[in-house]
Amino acid sequence: MTELLTTIISATFFFAVIRTTVPLLLAALGGLLAELSGALNVALEGMMLSAALTAVIVSASYPWWIGLLAGVLAGMALGAVMALFHLRFGADVVLVGFAINLMAAGGTVFILAQATGGDRGTSLALPSKSIPRLSLSWLGAIPGVGGTLEAALSGHSYLTWATVILVAGIWFMLYQTATGLRLRAVGEYAPAAAAAGISPDQMRALGLILSGALAALGGVQLAMFNYIGFTRDMTAGRGFIALGAVLLGARRPGGVAIAALLFGAFEALAIVLPALYTSIPGELIHSIPFVVTLVALVIYARRAQLLTRRRVAGVEGAT
Amino acid sequence: MDAPFALEMRDISKRYPGGTLANADVSLDVAAAGVHAIVGENGAGKSTLMKILYGIEQPDSGAILLDGTPVQISSPARAIALGIGMVFQHFSLVPSLSVAENVVLGAEPRRGLVLDLPAALRSVGELAERFGLPVDPAATVGTIPVGQQQRVEILKALYRNAQILILDEPTAVLTPQEVAELFTAIRGLVARGRTVLFIAHKLPEVLAISDAITVMRGGRVVGNLRTADATAEELTRLMVGRDVSLQVARTSHAVGPVVCAIEGVSANNSAQLPAVNDVSFVVRSGEILGIAAVEGNGQSELLEVLSGLRQPTAGRITLGAEDVTGWSVRHLRQAGVASIPEDRLARGLAAEATIAENMVAERIDRPPLVNRGILDWSAIRRAATELVNAYGVRTSSVQVPVDTLSGGNMQKVVIARELSSQPKLLLAAQPTRGIDIGATEFVWQSLIQARNRGAAIILTSADLTELLALADRIIVLSKGRLVAAFPDPANLTPEDLGTYMLGAREQPAAERAMAS
Amino acid sequence: MSRWPEWAFEVLRTVLALVVALIITFIIVLVVSAEPGEAFAALLGGPLGSPRTIGVWLDDVAKLTLAGLALSLVFQARLFALGAQGQAYLGGLAAGVIALSSLGQSWLSIPLGLVAAAVTGAAYGWIPGIIKARFGANEIVSTLMLNYIAIDVFAWLIRTRISPPGSGLTRSDPFPESAVYPTLIPRTRIDLGIVIAIIAVIAIWFYLYRTKRGFELRMVGFNPRFAEYAGINVPRTIVRTMAVSGAIGGILGAVFVQGSAYGELAVGFEGLITFEGILVAIVARNRPLIVPVAALFYGYLRQGAVLMGLRSDVPTEMIGIIQGVVILLVASAGLYGWLRASQANRAPDTDSDPDAPQPPIIGGGPLTEQAVR
Repeated sequence: MTELLTTIISATFFFAVIRTTVPLLLAALGGLLAELSGALNVALEGMMLSAALTAVIVSASYPWWIGLLAGVLAGMALGAVMALFHLRFGADVVLVGFAINLMAAGGTVFILAQATGGDRGTSLALPSKSIPRLSLSWLGAIPGVGGTLEAALSGHSYLTWATVILVAGIWFMLYQTATGLRLRAVGEYAPAAAAAGISPDQMRALGLILSGALAALGGVQLAMFNYIGFTRDMTAGRGFIALGAVLLGARRPGGVAIAALLFGAFEALAIVLPALYTSIPGELIHSIPFVVTLVALVIYARRAQLLTRRRVAGVEGAT
Repeated sequence: MDAPFALEMRDISKRYPGGTLANADVSLDVAAAGVHAIVGENGAGKSTLMKILYGIEQPDSGAILLDGTPVQISSPARAIALGIGMVFQHFSLVPSLSVAENVVLGAEPRRGLVLDLPAALRSVGELAERFGLPVDPAATVGTIPVGQQQRVEILKALYRNAQILILDEPTAVLTPQEVAELFTAIRGLVARGRTVLFIAHKLPEVLAISDAITVMRGGRVVGNLRTADATAEELTRLMVGRDVSLQVARTSHAVGPVVCAIEGVSANNSAQLPAVNDVSFVVRSGEILGIAAVEGNGQSELLEVLSGLRQPTAGRITLGAEDVTGWSVRHLRQAGVASIPEDRLARGLAAEATIAENMVAERIDRPPLVNRGILDWSAIRRAATELVNAYGVRTSSVQVPVDTLSGGNMQKVVIARELSSQPKLLLAAQPTRGIDIGATEFVWQSLIQARNRGAAIILTSADLTELLALADRIIVLSKGRLVAAFPDPANLTPEDLGTYMLGAREQPAAERAMAS
Repeated sequence: MSRWPEWAFEVLRTVLALVVALIITFIIVLVVSAEPGEAFAALLGGPLGSPRTIGVWLDDVAKLTLAGLALSLVFQARLFALGAQGQAYLGGLAAGVIALSSLGQSWLSIPLGLVAAAVTGAAYGWIPGIIKARFGANEIVSTLMLNYIAIDVFAWLIRTRISPPGSGLTRSDPFPESAVYPTLIPRTRIDLGIVIAIIAVIAIWFYLYRTKRGFELRMVGFNPRFAEYAGINVPRTIVRTMAVSGAIGGILGAVFVQGSAYGELAVGFEGLITFEGILVAIVARNRPLIVPVAALFYGYLRQGAVLMGLRSDVPTEMIGIIQGVVILLVASAGLYGWLRASQANRAPDTDSDPDAPQPPIIGGGPLTEQAVR
């Protein structure tokens, strides 16, 4: 037990938590924007996956930041496809989301095979790049806490720090700008926004496209920092866990960040546990993030039900 | 020629894809700085005309002129830009946003990129003061009364600098006192040069507030009158094309034993806040008990408790000799409770299910339609066909989805189903809201027949004249409390009820208890 | 021009979706493949190539049918419960445990395996049902999490408890012959699974359209507020629906592991076929009697794609594009507006009563009733 505690209460573990949290958080922020505009985005998983592969392939021939941009564009394109089929052609948004997921699951392997010349599992054959680390080695010079601070904060990717700014930026966008007010109004009661001359479809399209961009950033971080390169199904359910984080975070940016941090912490725990306790089966450790998401979902739903006033997000066909 | 009218509509025609001719060569001249009423039954085409004016629908032919200039109104946004504002009967407000946020939504004051909320609060406050529409700009819209929400809607139009304001049946949701306040506000708007188009079907109100009246029937204009020259009788004749009087002959009928007794019942609303507070009354066989209350004063929750949709937090309900407190919908229905829900489309029907399925949905738990859990479809179809014929639902088959029916026929499906079980207790929530005079007549007759057959009926209605016409007794709820009871409504007026509904007055407890 | 019946219109819509998906596939194959002829031949003709491939196709059809049925049930109740995958793993596990026990020596292990799988699947469907009905927890997220958990638990038990001790294998010993479904046509995979699928189709059709419970389920799907008002216990119907769907998911697991294709418990046996059940259910418009038809068509393409992956340079995963395109096109009712518009005099359902409240712009209910998405 003490081993576990010393592992968890350490700068290294903190570093690992940040590392696992960032892709989740980015995807969850994407889910949040779509959800607030009134379109549940279940395609976060497929968007992450597509962006990850795009970034890997593009960064094999171009600088890392072009790979990142290409990934983001791929995510936005998928968001636009969702918007087109859901808003213009009237398809159910959940079905569209799953269509995107199926296409991404098969399509990424297909394209991977094309890009690598036949490898359907990994992108080892591609010299893809990573997002640079931001070194904060000067922190080490601070007396006393310097070493800890450096270990915890130095060496994260540029995108990690950008994510911190994004959380604040999205809060600002939602609550301090006219666009945010309109987005929230459309999500809560679209006819009111429509009567005020705002096009609900436009706001939802914006929500879905931004959602695609953010989920894509999550995928890019995964394939260009957490791991270098693409492996088939490398998102492994993170897009769906992110959806859980949107619900658990009470549909507010701060709440979503805390929820993502919680899920990220358990994912990090699942990474360090096998080294500490060889007796615990790997499969069960692997399932920890899913169990935690499920439990959190139930607890949140129960709490939301007790408070009631705020509606729980969900597929409304169902309730 | 005189100065141009503020608004002229010339030979407007509109045919819907289904073939219905909603407007046929409708022409309208509206003088500036006045109140112009448009009256007509539901289905007369007045809503379509207003949707055309507000850019929601496009006319097939015809022209619209503002201050003498022809205009194309392609969208609501265009209408707003042209100075036309509309207040719908169902408000278009976002509940969790503040009054000011709702008003400025879509035309927000900004400082650079940032939404300037202080400026919004300030300008909405000023606007409210200038036009005599008092409301707190910082209040959350979902928490303020309906009358104030309506002011927010009017402020939204004024904030966008509306010169012509369309009010679609604005009094339907208001108490008589709130109506008086609205009329004061309308006169203030007119005094400041605004033109008001007032859509209505309550003739006394039209006569009280308007300067000119256009009467529509069957998509055409059938009369243009100056209010000073008009009478209610003449308007009615124009509206329906014949003399009708929705008068209920007050036949004497036998009032039987107590069917349902409610003792000290309290209940919460969906937000878990107290909505019904210690209410007691009885309803007897062969009588209609009317509940008068402003929307949101506990009457909906009370009816939900009685139908089993909502659990009471305190109190006791007996049906016949049985204590039915806390019973489920199914058990209460089996015990003889039926209900016509307030929102018939959202609650009373499954729109995509067939007419047959809708007709029998509350009876599929017992023979003869079901045996040991297996449906007897031929019996179901037979039962549904009988009801369709008995209640004159116009349809080719009971196997088609209910949403292929017209609105009036959907109403009939609900009423047929609920009355077919010969209920001991019938709960009728706003049974004539949003339906035309012909259908209203049908509903009234159905209720009276059920009463004469011995059913106990509890009726709520936003239309006090309906309550006064139908109810044998009336109780008044205010903020969830029973504040007055009238054993004989014959000599009551809407104003009398209004003072109690607003909570301004309260009967002494003893008098209430006697009468309830 | 005469009015088309609704079903003809739906069929046309589906065929169009399929054609568009195939055209897109052809274009992509032409672009990427050095041997497009081989690829097309395998995709479109491969499954009929030999009795063996026909068998594999029909075996897939049986499984796709069961997956499609499980999803059709929940979709008809407007629940987006996607737990069939997890139910299949745990149902398969239960059936496998029976097959590997001493019972496996008897033919009884086949019906008992089915029952055990159905009960296990129902229990695993009951969990998200009860947390949906009791707490309102979003069933999409909960069922997906339960899928991942079931996969992990299954893999753990196979590795540590069920595979031959010390082997570290991710599969069990083969089941005794008596515990494997007998084949109906020798040397093909056409076995008892097909019969089970057909029985399930009829049973689910009967349940949905001929029983009180099915009636309740459909009313909850049409309008839960109406169902509640009519006296139907909505939460209980939700739980029951998810449990019944779970039972089908569990049976799918048994059909997998006791089927002649496997006859063992193996990690990853389900091969994501349950998600392809989404496509089958959508194409079948959630109608049980249409599900096997949709499964036949889709199963053919699926098998064709596998053969294309084996016989040409185009990977099997290409089919993901067909899956996505078909779902997108079938689900997009609005895309076909022009088709409807071309039908003379066909009145749209909504505009029959011009003064009735219309959907665009005008606010819906009172403020307390917030917009229901």
